[in-house]
Amino acid sequence: MAWQRIASLSEIAVDAVLGVDVDGSRVALYRLANEVFATAGICTHAMALLSDGFVEDGNIECPLHQSQFDIRSGKALCAPATEDLRTYAVKLDGDEILIDMEQQAEFTQAIPKPMPDRQAARPVTDTQTISATNSDPELALMKRYVWPTEGLTRIPDWVYTDQTIYEREVEKIFHGRTWNYVALECEVPNPGDFIRSNVGPTPVVVVRAADCSINVFENRCSHRAAEFCRELSGNTKEFVCPYHQWSYDLHGNLAGIPFRRGVNGKGGMPADFNAAQHGLRRLNVTSHRGVVFASYVQDMEPLQDYLGPEVLKEFEATFDGRKPRLLGYYRHTLPGNWKLYHENLKDPYHATLLHTFLVTFGLLVAGNRSLMLADATGRHGVMASAKSERKSISSDAKKEMRAYRDGMTLAEPRFMDFIEEFDSPWSVTMATIWPNLIIQREMNTLGVRQIVPTGPHEFIMKWTMFGFEGDDDEMTRHRLRQGNLMGPAGFLGLEDNEAIKFVQDGMRHVPGRQHLVKLDPAVAAGTSDSLISEASIRAMYRHWRAEMGL
Amino acid sequence: MGKAALTRDHLPDAAALDSRLQALLLHHEIESFNARYAQALDEQRLADWTDMFTEDALYVVLSRENFDRGLPVGLIYCESKRMIHDRAFALMETSMFAPRYLRHIIGNQIVLSAESNGTVKSRANYVVLQVLLDRPDATLHQVGVYYDVFRRVGGTLKLAERRCVYDNLLVPNALCIPV
Repeated sequence: MAWQRIASLSEIAVDAVLGVDVDGSRVALYRLANEVFATAGICTHAMALLSDGFVEDGNIECPLHQSQFDIRSGKALCAPATEDLRTYAVKLDGDEILIDMEQQAEFTQAIPKPMPDRQAARPVTDTQTISATNSDPELALMKRYVWPTEGLTRIPDWVYTDQTIYEREVEKIFHGRTWNYVALECEVPNPGDFIRSNVGPTPVVVVRAADCSINVFENRCSHRAAEFCRELSGNTKEFVCPYHQWSYDLHGNLAGIPFRRGVNGKGGMPADFNAAQHGLRRLNVTSHRGVVFASYVQDMEPLQDYLGPEVLKEFEATFDGRKPRLLGYYRHTLPGNWKLYHENLKDPYHATLLHTFLVTFGLLVAGNRSLMLADATGRHGVMASAKSERKSISSDAKKEMRAYRDGMTLAEPRFMDFIEEFDSPWSVTMATIWPNLIIQREMNTLGVRQIVPTGPHEFIMKWTMFGFEGDDDEMTRHRLRQGNLMGPAGFLGLEDNEAIKFVQDGMRHVPGRQHLVKLDPAVAAGTSDSLISEASIRAMYRHWRAEMGL
Repeated sequence: MGKAALTRDHLPDAAALDSRLQALLLHHEIESFNARYAQALDEQRLADWTDMFTEDALYVVLSRENFDRGLPVGLIYCESKRMIHDRAFALMETSMFAPRYLRHIIGNQIVLSAESNGTVKSRANYVVLQVLLDRPDATLHQVGVYYDVFRRVGGTLKLAERRCVYDNLLVPNALCIPV
């Protein structure tokens, strides 16, 4: 809540736009009659200053490519822009215009179409006051998404339980400016090989075409929306929708329409029907070291830039140039919000407290060398630790660990052996790659976990377990044995799933409250070298709020 | 000569009868083994469950997807009784999961082969129902097939191999008790 003066009303003519710099951010300030609005100052399509644009009928038109946005809501109205403008709360104090860069002008996602216009007729004031004092019965139903005043040390329940927030996440995050994991290349080694996958909740097909390119398109026929590909994996020359036999090539182009010209000169498609415009919706695809990502955004930055140097280094420590070899899948549902899974792996605090198995057998204690890394944006993270020898555990650390029991041993301890194979100081790393991937390197058991959200209260997790080409039979079996730690029946995995369910249960049964994430105040949000830290969770929410405009 | 032919026509062949009885007894023995197996798991007597395996037993729970494609990854992957013991021990002593009741129903046992050295190959369908204490319903937690190899140890049938291949690829949250 930081209202600051940025201009006076007399500086802007009616139906005009003014560019201002606020804390280093470009902001476009508009005046429509006696109302004032503010949005991000740069077009979401390309780098163009909206203050050089043109205001008409409550819309701003970008000077560069003529994208238009609704000034009140920031909504992108026409191509080439597809992403909405961020809006900011502004209010008038006499002739002074004040702005709060941390608040949106309005959050109107939940309101039916006509609502923003009606609302815009009101004088602009603090968003909270608008909602609280609303006497309009329709507006009184408007949900409020106000972050707690304590800031990032609190996370409100609606972040995890609200359908509108979930739908906005699909739009802003999974279908937004992100690289989403979709497959390992070794799952589609040959031309025609395909698997079903997802980007957020959206089903997609990942297929290798004859030219060996990997293509990703929506699993939705462009005719009547049928989810045409039903097999989890396979090999094909084309995709044919079973409903009306529309066929698509392995690049997603529409190849054939039965009875396109009708029968006996009657019926059929209009003469001007252009099949080229009715292919499957294709996603942008990239691949690095055998890991395939897709994005709804066509001008995404390269994956390496998206990951940032530190996370890229950890990515390349696991995918070290050897060719991954598919060992199999775990799939499970998890009755919790999808972000809780990221948080669980940005929360090294829980590792020794929940996972008694690790402590009982002296595999991890709070004193182990460790790192909880957050990238510069806060969206990605790497939880890393180095295995210690049992004898080196200090008596202090043992006392801390309620579960530590001297002399308790496994009958088959070799399954916990760590065979050195990576150029890394860490024996365990869990990389959380925003928004849908976890790269698990738990000693020698390796997997990528794909988050498929299905609503605010549940997600599906698909684990693709792999080794490397060149592993001998004994190494493969070692990876499989060590896999007992992981997955929905794993010594660690089942506990994570249960704990996340408990969290969602708590929010559903005692709703409307907030979470406390205060550990490690020395780090406001970001990387910490302590296991007893929630600084990475805070960093993730700093990013999430910016993406969501909340 | 004519008399002997009459006997063969009108009385069951002693050897055939013997082999049918043996098959029946073996079937019964496996069925009662599976009933005891289910009971041990339902009552969460995991040490008793462990004792139903041979020392070198293979116990794997894997999805039908992995099984059909020849992919070896299992939800549980134990290559010896020692690993089965560790699984049982860890679940009882260290694992955190919500309290629950499970009911294992095993049926459709079929003996596929029985060798003279006592090795028996068989299969059976299974269903695991789960009840959480805060929900009224029992949910179908897992449904699948056991592919088994039994061996006799001191005259008693033990599992040398049990591959539990489940059809419902999406495991509901967590598999806490073996199947």
